[in-house]
Amino acid sequence: MTTDRFEDLLRSTLKAETEAAADRIADLEDRVILEIEERSPKLLWHEWLRQLLAPTTGSRIGQLLVVGATAAVFLFVGMGISSNLLRNNASPRLSLQPVRAADGTQEVLFVLPAMDAENVAVVGSFNSWEETQLSDQDGDGIWTASIPLSPGRYEYAFLIDGRWWGQDPLADEYVQSFGEFSSVRYIGRGGDEV
Amino acid sequence: MIRHRQLLVGFALVLLLGLAVTAEIPLHEFEQALHGIPVNDIDAMLGAIELGFGQPDFPAEQLLRLIDRLAGRPAPAIEKEAVLRVITHAIEEGLPIEGMVDKAFEGLARSVPMAQLENGLQQLHILLAEIRDLLYSRGIFSAGPGAQSTAINALPIERFNLLVLHISEAIDSYLSGGGSPFESQLLFEEVHERLTQLQGVILDPMDVELVFERINPSDLTQVALTAVS
Repeated sequence: MTTDRFEDLLRSTLKAETEAAADRIADLEDRVILEIEERSPKLLWHEWLRQLLAPTTGSRIGQLLVVGATAAVFLFVGMGISSNLLRNNASPRLSLQPVRAADGTQEVLFVLPAMDAENVAVVGSFNSWEETQLSDQDGDGIWTASIPLSPGRYEYAFLIDGRWWGQDPLADEYVQSFGEFSSVRYIGRGGDEV
Repeated sequence: MIRHRQLLVGFALVLLLGLAVTAEIPLHEFEQALHGIPVNDIDAMLGAIELGFGQPDFPAEQLLRLIDRLAGRPAPAIEKEAVLRVITHAIEEGLPIEGMVDKAFEGLARSVPMAQLENGLQQLHILLAEIRDLLYSRGIFSAGPGAQSTAINALPIERFNLLVLHISEAIDSYLSGGGSPFESQLLFEEVHERLTQLQGVILDPMDVELVFERINPSDLTQVALTAVS
C-alpha cells in the first residue's frame, strides 16, 4: 500500500517537472544542430578533398567509390566535349594513324622534330626522290607532312636544310643504299587480301 | 533510228581511241628526252623502250622523268648513257624495271657519282635476272599478260614480277648494307622478312608460300655471289 502511494507520488512529480520544462525541450533538436553547424570549421574545397582522401579507420572503399564515380563523371563529360571538338576539326594531320581511302590509299603522316631547321623535306620512292616539303605552322620545331600512299613498301629520307637524315624514328626498318641510310615504311599491312 | 545508233557507237569509239592515245606517252617524247642527254645509239634505246610498252606495269612516265633528270645532271654524256643502257637492257630481257628506275632516282638525288650509280643498277639488274631464272628452275612460271593461271605454279606475270622484284631488292639491300653472301641464313631471313611484310598487302600469300616451299638459303647465296662477282 505504501509502495503504491510512493509510485503515484513519483509519477505526478515527474509529470509536473516535464510539463514545466516542455518549452525548453521543444526546439532542443534544432538548436543542437544549429550549434554544431556554427562550431564546425568551414572547409575550403581543397581541404574538403584532402579530408575525403585522408586515410581513416572507417570505410576507405566508400571514399574510393565516391572518387571513382566523380572521375567517371568527369571522364564521360570530357569525352563528350572532345568528341564534339574533334568532329568539328577533323584532320588527318592530327593523327599518326593512317586514314584509309576507299581505293586503299592512305594519308600517311611524316613527322620530324628539327628545332632550328629552316626547311625540312621528305624524299623517297613515293615521290621519285623529289622533295615534298614538311611544314611547321606553329613554329614549335615539329615538322609534318601528310602524303597519300597506296599499299606497299616505301624507302625515304628527310632533308633538313639540305642535309640528309635517313633514320626516321617512326620507320618500320632501315636500309643502306649507296652507303647511306634510308628509312622504310610498310603501308597497308594487315589490310585487305590481294 | 539505226543511223542514230551507229552515230552513237562511232562517237564512243572515237572517244575510247582518244583516251587510249592520251594514256600512253608517245615515243617521240622519249626521243626528244634522249636527245637532251644526248645518247649515241638512240634507235636501240627507243627500240627497247617501245618493247617495254608491251610489258605489264611498265613505268613509262617514271622512265621519261628519269631521262629528263639524267639530262639535267652535270656529267659526261657517255656516263649518263651507260646508266640508261643498264635499264634498257633489262627492258629487252623482259625484267621488271620499276626497282631500277627508283634506285636511279635515289642515286641522282643523293648525287652519287655516275659510275657508282651504274654499278648499283648493274647489281640489281643481275639480281633480277638471276632470281627470275631461279624461280623458273624451281618450277615457278609466269603466265602471259592478262592470262588466268591454270596451275598453282603458273602465276600471272604481274604477280610473278612482283616476286622477282621484291626478292631481288631484298638481296640488293642486304648486300648494300654490307651483308655477306656466305651468310646464307641471314640472307634468307632478309628475303623472308620482306615477303612476309608484303604478303596480303601487295603479294599474294599463296605466291609467297610457294617461294618458301621451293627456295632455300643456299639458292640465295648462289644468286648473291653471282651479283657481287
